[in-house]
Amino acid sequence: MPRDKGALSLDLVIAVMAFLAGIALGAALIAERASADWQTGLAGRLTVQIVPSAKTKAPVDRQVAAALAVLNATRGVAHAEALSQHDTVELVRPWLGSNALIPELPLPRLIDVTLVPGEHVDLETMRQQLKAAAPDSNLDDHRRWLARLRALVRGILWSAYGVLALISLATAATVSFATRAGLAAHRDIVELLHQMGARGGFIARAFEWHYFLAALVAGGIGGGLAALFYLAASGLEAAGLEPVPFLPPLGLHVSELAWLLTIPVGASWIALITARLSVFGALSRIY
Amino acid sequence: MIRFENVGMRYRSGPEVLRDLTFTLDPGTLSFLTGPSGAGKSTLLKLMYLAEPPSRGRITLFGSDLANTKRSQLPALRRRIGVVFQDFRLLDHLSAFDNVALPLRIAGRDAASYGQDVEELLSWVGLGSRLEARPATLSGGEQQRIAIARAVVGRPDLLLADEPTGNVDPEMGRRLIRLFEELNKLGTTVLIATHDRTLIESSRAREMRLVDGRVIELRSAVL
Repeated sequence: MPRDKGALSLDLVIAVMAFLAGIALGAALIAERASADWQTGLAGRLTVQIVPSAKTKAPVDRQVAAALAVLNATRGVAHAEALSQHDTVELVRPWLGSNALIPELPLPRLIDVTLVPGEHVDLETMRQQLKAAAPDSNLDDHRRWLARLRALVRGILWSAYGVLALISLATAATVSFATRAGLAAHRDIVELLHQMGARGGFIARAFEWHYFLAALVAGGIGGGLAALFYLAASGLEAAGLEPVPFLPPLGLHVSELAWLLTIPVGASWIALITARLSVFGALSRIY
Repeated sequence: MIRFENVGMRYRSGPEVLRDLTFTLDPGTLSFLTGPSGAGKSTLLKLMYLAEPPSRGRITLFGSDLANTKRSQLPALRRRIGVVFQDFRLLDHLSAFDNVALPLRIAGRDAASYGQDVEELLSWVGLGSRLEARPATLSGGEQQRIAIARAVVGRPDLLLADEPTGNVDPEMGRRLIRLFEELNKLGTTVLIATHDRTLIESSRAREMRLVDGRVIELRSAVL
């Protein structure tokens, strides 16, 4: 097969599409991993908050000690530890800054509770016992936060898959268009081979491998650039730089990078199938 | 071999280019097809090498009535026909060798089995030293000889040639006609469309003349 004029433009478009597909696929993989990490991190953990209240006027330190006593006596609690005032101030520092007045604020005291894995804990009973011992206590089992987190991750995942589907569709349409244009440009070759008694499969093979290889190379370049993007993000994070604050790490693991190999493979098969269908379509219109 | 019965041909809704053609090409014969430009010689050849279906009438080729021949059976019929196109229709991205070998590849022959045959044939038409040359680097006459070599390499049952000596000098023209005659002696039915009276007069073959879309038998083969 002779190389078409404009073949470079097609290669460029496929490479760009493959790059975008790689970015979208990477985003989906990161969102999925982040969701799993967050859920693992919060599973089996509880937080008890004791908010100073003017109503009860009970001393906070005493309430913390009472709550700890309840927690340590509860079956299924592996560990319960109260955060010091200093630790609590450190937690809010990223949002409130290093103002000297912060320690003066009525900040809630937090107790971090770790449960024994697999052990059933009656949270309602625990909540009542805590209320009795420390009236200003509030037990947070992260369920609401986890539910909202799951909804957010689901949204990100579906958005990434949607973008991926759109890019795949656009790539297929581009390859299909280019293949048809290429076939139209080489109509004389198709007609001659047909005239000499070549069957559809023989003629299709002459074209499909040409487009298969072109898409494989261009898709490989685009997918490779997407991999480089994520490797660079990993490098920045390893160097202590955070490209996007508050979001999970942008780098991909080696096993996740391997998923990017599906992009050139997918692009090349889309090209091959489109070329084959286009050749058979063109031949069906010739006597 | 080929029988035309009341065959007519028109392109879409245009006027009829060929009208009520009735003639037979017997197996193993060599014939000339003549006629003024625009008389429909190329269209008649197109019907014979199955590039177009007739608008009406019946064509029988190698014993098959084309009207009753399945589409899937046409490639096998086409492989039995060698065609020398007036515009050569060589593939520019292939070498002279690969252009000539194309019918054999299409027929599924192994490359090792035909290499020597193709080289010998190219030598016979005077292009033994240009095996790897691309058509664009060859003269019109050289391209024509490759087109002829490609048409005869598979020893077809039917050879159709449209002005096959139009671009070569008289000496090479006679040489090429001898090639057709040799092939004809081996059993191939040959039909040559030409304007070259010298070529026709130098042969004893049958001459059919196309005038106003109809065939007139000018001369039967002289045995």
